Amino acid sequence: MRIDNELIKNEVFICAQCHYCRVCPAYSVIKWESTSPRGRVYLLKGILKGEIDAEITAVEDFYKCTTCGACEVVCQTSIPLIDLWERARAEFVEKGKAPLPVHKKLKDYAEKNGNPYGEKREERAKWAENFALSESAELLYFAGCTASYRMKELAVNSVEFLRKAKMDFGYAGVDELCCGSPFLRTGQREIAYEFFRKNYEIWDRMGVEKILTSCAGCYRTIKRDYKEIGKELGMDWDFEVIHISQLMWSLVKSGEVELEEFGEQVTYHDPCHLGRHMNVYDEPRKVLESMNARIVEMESNRENALCCGAGGGLKSQFKDLSMEIGKRRIEEALNTGARYLISCCPFCKLHLKQASGGRIEVVDLIEIVNKHAKV
Amino acid sequence: MIDHIPQRSDLTQRYLYSHDIASPPIISKFFKLADVVMQPENEDDVLRILLYAKEKKIPLVARGSATSGYGGAVPYKGGIVVDFSRMDHFEVDEERKILIAEPGAVWWDIERKLNKLGLSLRVYPTSAPSSTVGGWIGQNGYGVGSLAFGSIAENVEKIRVANFEGIVETRDLRFYAGLHGTTGFVVKAWIKVKDYEDLNAYAFHVDVEEAIKIAYARKHYSALYLTRRYLEMKNMVSGNEIPEKDTLVIVTAEKLDGDEELGEEIWNDRFYPLRIRRAGPGVVAAEVLIDAEKLKAYLNSVEGFGAGTEVWFLKNSLCSVLSFMPVDERDGRSVFKYTFSLKALKEAKKLGGRVYSTGLYFSKESKSFYENFDELLRFKKSIDPENLLNPGKVFPSGSLPIIMGFLEVLS
Repeated sequence: MRIDNELIKNEVFICAQCHYCRVCPAYSVIKWESTSPRGRVYLLKGILKGEIDAEITAVEDFYKCTTCGACEVVCQTSIPLIDLWERARAEFVEKGKAPLPVHKKLKDYAEKNGNPYGEKREERAKWAENFALSESAELLYFAGCTASYRMKELAVNSVEFLRKAKMDFGYAGVDELCCGSPFLRTGQREIAYEFFRKNYEIWDRMGVEKILTSCAGCYRTIKRDYKEIGKELGMDWDFEVIHISQLMWSLVKSGEVELEEFGEQVTYHDPCHLGRHMNVYDEPRKVLESMNARIVEMESNRENALCCGAGGGLKSQFKDLSMEIGKRRIEEALNTGARYLISCCPFCKLHLKQASGGRIEVVDLIEIVNKHAKV
Repeated sequence: MIDHIPQRSDLTQRYLYSHDIASPPIISKFFKLADVVMQPENEDDVLRILLYAKEKKIPLVARGSATSGYGGAVPYKGGIVVDFSRMDHFEVDEERKILIAEPGAVWWDIERKLNKLGLSLRVYPTSAPSSTVGGWIGQNGYGVGSLAFGSIAENVEKIRVANFEGIVETRDLRFYAGLHGTTGFVVKAWIKVKDYEDLNAYAFHVDVEEAIKIAYARKHYSALYLTRRYLEMKNMVSGNEIPEKDTLVIVTAEKLDGDEELGEEIWNDRFYPLRIRRAGPGVVAAEVLIDAEKLKAYLNSVEGFGAGTEVWFLKNSLCSVLSFMPVDERDGRSVFKYTFSLKALKEAKKLGGRVYSTGLYFSKESKSFYENFDELLRFKKSIDPENLLNPGKVFPSGSLPIIMGFLEVLS
């Protein structure tokens, strides 16, 4: 197999093979080098040097990674590993070694319905039926696929909160399409570019200037990936993108929204796409502190937080591994003695709730805040 | 007998478990790949693997995290790589201040647990975030705390070793520590720890002679000396703005009049000497042990090659000196730069110094490196007559020691 990507060609030779990246949640469970970040880098280097090819099992193991970025935080030589994993996966796809079967299925679903869940396009906005939301506004609420189909309460709470805060906003309804995150993470970049173009076209038509999302994955994709894709395609990209935790904190800080006390003991799970990928750590904590919630940090937190186990296509393709990682995160949460495990991402909530087996209450910050926002 | 032990023999896994952190050009092309990688989960598994290998006459290579560059974990004659990553349990006897650890336990995991108990490791390697108890004992390394406490072997109360003769539990480490698993595999170690104390790091911009005086003037915990060239390289790749001057960092419980802020900044980066690989991409390293009184002369010679150096001051006026030169391993012409390791060793030997470790690449140095080499050789032959325990390491065999000797002369 030939590797063409320049980032890969340059960065893999910088790796010190020091194995500080053993913090990888997938490697911690599996314990084989082919699933460790340094092993994956060494494999890419070996391919470049012509010493080895990417066997099927090697490619499968390469995908046993949530792209959480824990490796990037500890990397001794500061390799941009998240980008490296995504670019390598794209190379595997391009050279016919991937996608893996379930990832391919997700793409087929998305091509047909605009979401990777195989749900009907016309049902995307069902959660919003009672809201009569505007179809044009400077501020757009982007619900994303998970909140639209699987964790509707997040979208509902977000909209209720925006109304309480008297925000003027619009929603694209059934015209909203998947942001493309699952496909950028799994190396299927073409369809993500297609979604970029279509979403961009709709937002342009709606007169959108600012995009608000309650999904950490969509936030990462629209703020970081879309900017790069836009640049690559020679398109103007001047949308402001914010995550709802940032909006909540800005409204609380300015006094535009007042919150009732929430004096519970809680622990906060940093979603990888919000924390490590986008450096948003403080706002969710500040919102909780403003409500007098007693935050007890888990053993790993902020930039060292353990991933929930769902991202990067892991949950769809490798369910058992994904669940094992989720259970480890739940153990960390239980060790804090907190009553609530709070996060800021529908995918984290979905997965951690499943992994918790009901042993701790898993909620999203927007649910708590909306419930306690004074009208 | 061994079917239940986690193992893989696909080409990818064999490839990934057949190297350490070094990338020596040309010679590594002649190394074999591991035939299979096994991950024992307990002592019984290790004994079963030993029995199997003895019956089948298959080489065995112990592997911790493979974070050294001496080839100790490289299966250059093929065989079974015994990866100890699943044997990573440890416990602490708080009353006796003894850590009891399996070989795959990682130093920094241990230190974090110890700190919670009000205890601390006496010594740990500068690769502590990933390196293992078994690996460091196998190398008998020096590191953080070695100014006060010496090498790891000096801090081990006893070890439990598995080899072809079964299990040995001994306080006499001479036949095992620093021998890269050529005489048996450590399956458990009892290691002395100390009370936790708040330590401060102070930086001093001083020349090497002054640094030696300060480091050995009082009983400090650790002392690290970084040369101007090393700091230049580090700043270049990290964007930091550490003053580019020869700098000593003393870590101590005492109050000193050095620069504490700079001291902490450098100290917090002690696990990251390889950041400078970005300058290559890649580095060639030379690591020697030398008496403090010869340090200045040695540093002058390696700085002449354009290398940056970090020096760890050790007990008994010994210094562990690690020098780096950036090298782009993709560039075929850079192959000659790798002789820097040998040039530096030659300079060190002229000054009475020696290589830091033997492993695979420096087995030719073993006779002078180990004071009791002849005794060790007799022991090796008695317990491993077929030379199956990490063959080619420590005890010179085959053509590699001759090639390395030849290259040293040429360099």
